Amino acid sequence: MIPTIESGIPGFDELTISEISEGGIPEKSTTLIYGPPKTGKSIFCNQFTYHGLLKQEPCLYLTTDQSLKQLQSNMMEFQWLIMNYIQNQTLYVIDGISHLSGAKLEETNNIKSSSVANSSDMMVKIGIGTRSVYKKSNHFRSVLDSINTLITFNPDQMVIRVLKAYLRRIREARGSGIIAYTEGVADLETENILKSLFDNIIRLDGKNIHFEYLSEENDEIHNFEATYTITDKGFVIEKK
Amino acid sequence: MIPCIESGIPGFDDLTKSESAMGGIPENSSTLVYGPAKTGKTIFSNQFAYQGLLNDEPCLYIMTDQGIKQFEDMMFDFQRPINKFIEDKTLYTINTTSNISEGKPQKNENIVSSYINNPTDIMVKVSYGVKYVNKNNPRFRSVLDSSTTLLAYNENMLILRVLKAYLMRINEAGGTSIITYTEDSADKKVETILKTMVNNIVRLDGKELTVEAMKGIGKRSSPYQITDEGLVI
Amino acid sequence: MKKTHIPKLDDFLGGGIPGGSSILFCAVPGVECEAFGYQILNGNIEDGDKGFIFTNVTEPQNIIYEFNKYGWNLEKYLEEEKVFFVDGSSNFMGVPPMGKYTIDELSQIEGIVLKAIDDIPNGVGVINNLSTLLDYLDDDKIIEIISKWNKRAKEKNTILVYIFTKWDYDPKIIENIKNSVDSVISLTSIEERVIIGQGFMVTSASWTTPSKNLVLFFVLQPGGVKIYIPKILVTGPYNAGKTSFVKSISKKSVSVERMAMEKFPTTIAMDIGHVDHKGFVADVFGTPGQERFDLMLDVLAKEAVGAFILVDSTEPQTFARAKEMINKTQSEAIPKIIVANKQDLPGALSPEQIREIMKLDKSIPIIPTIVNENTGVEEALDTLLNLLYGD
Repeated sequence: MIPTIESGIPGFDELTISEISEGGIPEKSTTLIYGPPKTGKSIFCNQFTYHGLLKQEPCLYLTTDQSLKQLQSNMMEFQWLIMNYIQNQTLYVIDGISHLSGAKLEETNNIKSSSVANSSDMMVKIGIGTRSVYKKSNHFRSVLDSINTLITFNPDQMVIRVLKAYLRRIREARGSGIIAYTEGVADLETENILKSLFDNIIRLDGKNIHFEYLSEENDEIHNFEATYTITDKGFVIEKK
Repeated sequence: MIPCIESGIPGFDDLTKSESAMGGIPENSSTLVYGPAKTGKTIFSNQFAYQGLLNDEPCLYIMTDQGIKQFEDMMFDFQRPINKFIEDKTLYTINTTSNISEGKPQKNENIVSSYINNPTDIMVKVSYGVKYVNKNNPRFRSVLDSSTTLLAYNENMLILRVLKAYLMRINEAGGTSIITYTEDSADKKVETILKTMVNNIVRLDGKELTVEAMKGIGKRSSPYQITDEGLVI
Repeated sequence: MKKTHIPKLDDFLGGGIPGGSSILFCAVPGVECEAFGYQILNGNIEDGDKGFIFTNVTEPQNIIYEFNKYGWNLEKYLEEEKVFFVDGSSNFMGVPPMGKYTIDELSQIEGIVLKAIDDIPNGVGVINNLSTLLDYLDDDKIIEIISKWNKRAKEKNTILVYIFTKWDYDPKIIENIKNSVDSVISLTSIEERVIIGQGFMVTSASWTTPSKNLVLFFVLQPGGVKIYIPKILVTGPYNAGKTSFVKSISKKSVSVERMAMEKFPTTIAMDIGHVDHKGFVADVFGTPGQERFDLMLDVLAKEAVGAFILVDSTEPQTFARAKEMINKTQSEAIPKIIVANKQDLPGALSPEQIREIMKLDKSIPIIPTIVNENTGVEEALDTLLNLLYGD
């Protein structure tokens, strides 16, 4: 059986049960979650983060689309309160965007400000961040939401380079990472390279979720599909 | 319950009611209003701005498609006189066309002009404008009509970065913003990125208004008309 | 020769950087590199030179803010026109540009930076960041631009400092870039699944044969680039003054995230201090002197890079124990010095007498001190740092 971690998404872990897996997201792997705009990618990521926090699994969260403040208020809508986890440093946040709003982010041990256009600086903070969560637990999660803003502020090749370095960091530290991306934001060629960088792929289209991963255990591609909805409890996979 | 502000569009607030949303436009969010040309995007924005002014919510209005004079006339035609709000300074407009079409710029401190091909200058005025409308009331509205013109005169990716910064600024200051965009006027990629940058998406196709995305509600749509009182669901 | 103002780097480079040279800081992604450029600039401005910062990664305002965090007042130098910005970022982000020169489009970069070089003869220009430029321009073009800048800098006797992050580029272009500058300093990471340390090493310098030592560093805010010594041990027999010694060499104000600190539960009775001295930072661990703690001494000594062995100069009967502790710490292999404390008390033995009684080799320095009065403490610290990093 391959080791997995709980996704935190109701129905997801049941859906992904197979002869080689008890269900969930393969542990210590990287997942690209993508689809058209407003299909629930961020909600999925946030739910994944919050579930980890509830289980004392630290999380490195790189937010580039919205400021930490916006992230907090979005999570609040689903009653996912992250303040405590920020305070007890289980959640490590790199905010790459709030400087654009003109507000200066108060930096602490686990809250860092960076800039989406300054990849070198972002990578330094990712380095420190992975070390911090890795030392807390060897079961940490990492989220990058999302690649979209990186694409808007950097040449495509640069985004790919940064992503490669980021994924290498997460893999080395044996974290379980999810990275969000909106279909159509990058050119097709870039999009294809993007997809090739990940162990697992989740596609959302607003109605259906499709999950795919290559198992090293039996060298087979495993596919799962179901419908989903977004409720006030978050992302829910519907029973077949 | 998601707090909302009145949209100013008759029927819209009822359409967007749900168990978790009060109906209207979610407060402190951003909305993209898009659709083919001449489907009422500007009218939608104007009504949204006007409703705010009536409710004592100041408004920052960036207009790239019309001058202040045209704007005033249009509002007047729809029985929404705005001169009062220009005078009491609850309306702050940045317009980028009057330089060319209307000759001398206005003297009021809250009616400023900028250049369509100088997004940096527009952003400087936006920062100033946010401070201006925000100083008396933390709850304010902001309209950008339209992003299409900005995109047409400048490099697309630059404008998308500027719009991102614009939205971040309004959000940080507590405002609720609308951006309009004419479908297919730029790359599909641009449209997709625009959609990723906002919280809510409303599409107008001339007959139907579709709320494609909004906090707390699923996809909804309803027919609409443009009457002499404006856009009505 | 100009100083880099980076600790140890000048020594490695044979005294500093000759005017007109180009120097490349080539960093593995994740290793802090900007601070090196900024520190060189800041130091030279303080020495009375002029300089500029070219940025295409962040707006000048953010760089001013960064400088502040290091404790350097860039704003003042800007006002005094000792430094200016070549702003290649603001227009790209759609924010108001700031600085003497502004880049509107890529094609202007080459010429505007040349102008900037002309403006600061004998000064220092920092290019942050070369890698960001690389993805906008093609490979040949970038080499051509670098050579033009370097040629002009040579004529004007201006030093150019390039900041470069080594993403997964074609090794050929990296090689070509390295070959187009006078000196390359590699910034690398020390990893055990995660980055646990950062180091710098001079890999080439056209004007000298550089010493190729890898030196660990930390970037402190405030403070800038500091040489990092992961662990210095303070040991010695009971009542030799270890706790006082740790206190007197430590600065409490330093707060760095330190690996070494977090490896040990704080419940162990032990003195921990942070040294910040002449560009070096170090974590210092004092071990209890009693025999029942010898096991802990073994653990601590394993990763120590240097040691102070304290003795009470008036208590020769404890010297045997001190000698035993030296052996116990396996510290024969690591640089160490004997701190001969309590020199002010009657009956204190001189360093020579102590050396004789302990039968110590000449290679181990013995420094006379009065820890309580802070006498000889700095000398002890200098002596150990010298042993560790030489002159």
